[in-house]
Amino acid sequence: MRATTLIVAVALALATTAARAQAQLPAPTTPDDSTAVRPPETLEDLIQRVRVLERKLELKQEEDAARAKAAPAIVVAGDGVAFRAADGSFQLRLRGYVQDDARMYQGVAHPGTSAFLLRRVRPILEATALQRYTLRIMPDFGNGQTVLYDAYVEAAFLPQLGLRFGKFKPPVGLERLQSATNLMFVERALPTALVPNRDLGVQLQGVVGGGLLSYALGVFNGVNDGGMADTDTDNAKEVAARLFAQPFQASESDALRRLGFGVAATRGAVHGTLTSVSLPSYSSPGQLAFFRYRADGKATGTAIASGDHVRLAPQGWYYRGPLSVLGEYVISRQAVALDTASATLRNRAWQVAAAYAVTGEDAGAKGIRPRSVFDPAKGSWGAIELTARVHQLRLDDDAFPRFADPTASARSARAWAAGLNWYLNPNVKLVLDYERTRFAGGAKTGDRAPERALFSRIQFAF
Amino acid sequence: MRRSIVAALAALTAALPPGAAAQQAPKDVVLLNVSYDPTRELYQDYNAAFARYWKAKTGQSVTIRQSHGGSGKQARSVIDGLQADVVTLALAYDVDALAERGRLIPRNWQTRLPDNSAPYTSTIVFLVRKGNPKRIRDWGDLVRPGVSVVTPNPKTSGGARWNYLAAWGYALRKFGGDEGKAQQFVAALFRNVPVLDSGARGATTTFIERGIGDVMINWENEALLAMQEMGKGQYEIVMPSVSILAEPPVTVVDRVANKRGTRPIAEAYLHYLYSEEGQTIAASHFYRPRMASVAAKFASRFPRIQLFDIREFGGWQVAQKKHFDDGGIFDRLYQPR
Repeated sequence: MRATTLIVAVALALATTAARAQAQLPAPTTPDDSTAVRPPETLEDLIQRVRVLERKLELKQEEDAARAKAAPAIVVAGDGVAFRAADGSFQLRLRGYVQDDARMYQGVAHPGTSAFLLRRVRPILEATALQRYTLRIMPDFGNGQTVLYDAYVEAAFLPQLGLRFGKFKPPVGLERLQSATNLMFVERALPTALVPNRDLGVQLQGVVGGGLLSYALGVFNGVNDGGMADTDTDNAKEVAARLFAQPFQASESDALRRLGFGVAATRGAVHGTLTSVSLPSYSSPGQLAFFRYRADGKATGTAIASGDHVRLAPQGWYYRGPLSVLGEYVISRQAVALDTASATLRNRAWQVAAAYAVTGEDAGAKGIRPRSVFDPAKGSWGAIELTARVHQLRLDDDAFPRFADPTASARSARAWAAGLNWYLNPNVKLVLDYERTRFAGGAKTGDRAPERALFSRIQFAF
Repeated sequence: MRRSIVAALAALTAALPPGAAAQQAPKDVVLLNVSYDPTRELYQDYNAAFARYWKAKTGQSVTIRQSHGGSGKQARSVIDGLQADVVTLALAYDVDALAERGRLIPRNWQTRLPDNSAPYTSTIVFLVRKGNPKRIRDWGDLVRPGVSVVTPNPKTSGGARWNYLAAWGYALRKFGGDEGKAQQFVAALFRNVPVLDSGARGATTTFIERGIGDVMINWENEALLAMQEMGKGQYEIVMPSVSILAEPPVTVVDRVANKRGTRPIAEAYLHYLYSEEGQTIAASHFYRPRMASVAAKFASRFPRIQLFDIREFGGWQVAQKKHFDDGGIFDRLYQPR
């Protein structure tokens, strides 16, 4: 109404001015032979002018609305920023997370260095074309290094059939497959040391039965236990497969609905050389190596991978209300040689971890989402989760002493941990863990000193 | 259990009379006709008539879905993947785009049906307010000072391109083929256009609903429809001395119809437009019929005027490039106010 009044006033002013000008100027001519002279402004002329102005405003509004509809959408939300084409055919999404840790070892004679560290600094770029083809790129700038973790293209033809190729997590370790933002503890447990971290390859994947069963089957270059690489050193490839079932997901009973279990396996062949031994080392929860194969740079003193490498990883999780339970077992069986000696070594690890959200939030594989955000002024504290786990990694006895030095490498590591996760809001999470790890062997006399470490983390993820 | 089911199926098959499968009614079929704005009512009636005809002829039920919008925009939608079995658009230029840019039809599409694949025609006329207060009789009156003209933007509206070329053709005749003067004439006409709508329906809104302007240049069929349905005696049609023969073309979209297996029925759908019933329906919706007998029946509705056609401009491709492409004559002669 106010706009119309304004338009009328403007139109009247314009009309008055035009009428005055009209009286002073000769009438315009046209190429036609008409000799008509423009008549003076009448009330009808003024009404027409107002109508024209109103119509132009109307058309401008329609045009603006159409332009807004055709314009790309920018969506800013707690889980990132998305730029979306007007027709939805293309989307670019920017996400990321930073984990700022403090790792404090207890005990004066401990070999580790207590320090603050940027554990992970990972921007994530995801592009999706036609809701079907996705590109994901995720580098990591943590620990003072730049490493490309994910770079893959995924084509999702059907829920039951997708294809992924590039560099990504092979489908093996249960905790490894969880995002680093959703872990129960600051560091993953010991079974993760036996499964691949990232590898280059191609993978068929899908979900059948409406989520009843998920599968993945891939061919990869093959990497060491816990390792990742951007190149391959031999022509042999590694096959990885995983089946994971949630048989009760349609059940009305909450008791078993979120029970999932499955098994993963890899099979490949690796042949190392003196310059590239293709064997792993294993680290404690405090990220200190407690086992290394012998390697003095000479053929008589350096163990190398010498053939088959097979992993088997049964696994499962269970969620009910605020309770989370996760368990996995991994066997990594690898042929190893040193000079004229050879053996197939079976290294094993397992873990059982549990968490409970004391503030009552539902738990899931993607962590918990706090019901309230931390705001002391309003008396809300976010979500609090208590955590505990036990885990172990045991090396094959046959590794000692021929392939590993028993005075420098431990035969096993067994740890327990307890912690607290505090979700200030969906983006910010604080973690505090205490973890104690005991070793068997690994010292000149007796056992390597236990590792007692306090971990804390401030995580911002979007 | 499985054996029981197989046995039951075998018994059922044996019980059927020989050739029963062959005698089953043909499968129902759905066609999509992508058309332009003013044909909505025409095709509602025509589709029902064709469905009756086809059912009686073949026993097959057919449902024809309609899509309407600006002619150029509709062509782009088909090129972008809209699964049109047939298109019935405002300009041959828009159908050409299906051949040139979409490669959905052959380039000679216009020769596949009679009369340049235009089963009905129309022309461009003037709609004025009751009593014709500005005494508008011909194109020359549209450039008089004080005459307010409503026509859409020829850059965005197929109908407006017909309007523009009709005015241009008049001016060429008036000024002895002098293109410079024709350009000045059309420029003067567009100086009298207070609002440039993007499409024909928008222009009708401007003129009829918003009460803007003294005269609207429009399709004859739209003007007659406005007289009948919206005007209620408030408007008059003025036939100019000369105008353009507008030939809205139709064609099967080969690639879609072949893929969907609808080509025979799509072709029959368009052929039936040339039948007596199809022509009568077109005429009753104010499109000029091609069939002489039907034209005679509706002669009083369509006054005879001198008509020229698009060939005078070298065809649509040439006209589009010369007048309406970016940097063309229209861009030079029209200054937005």
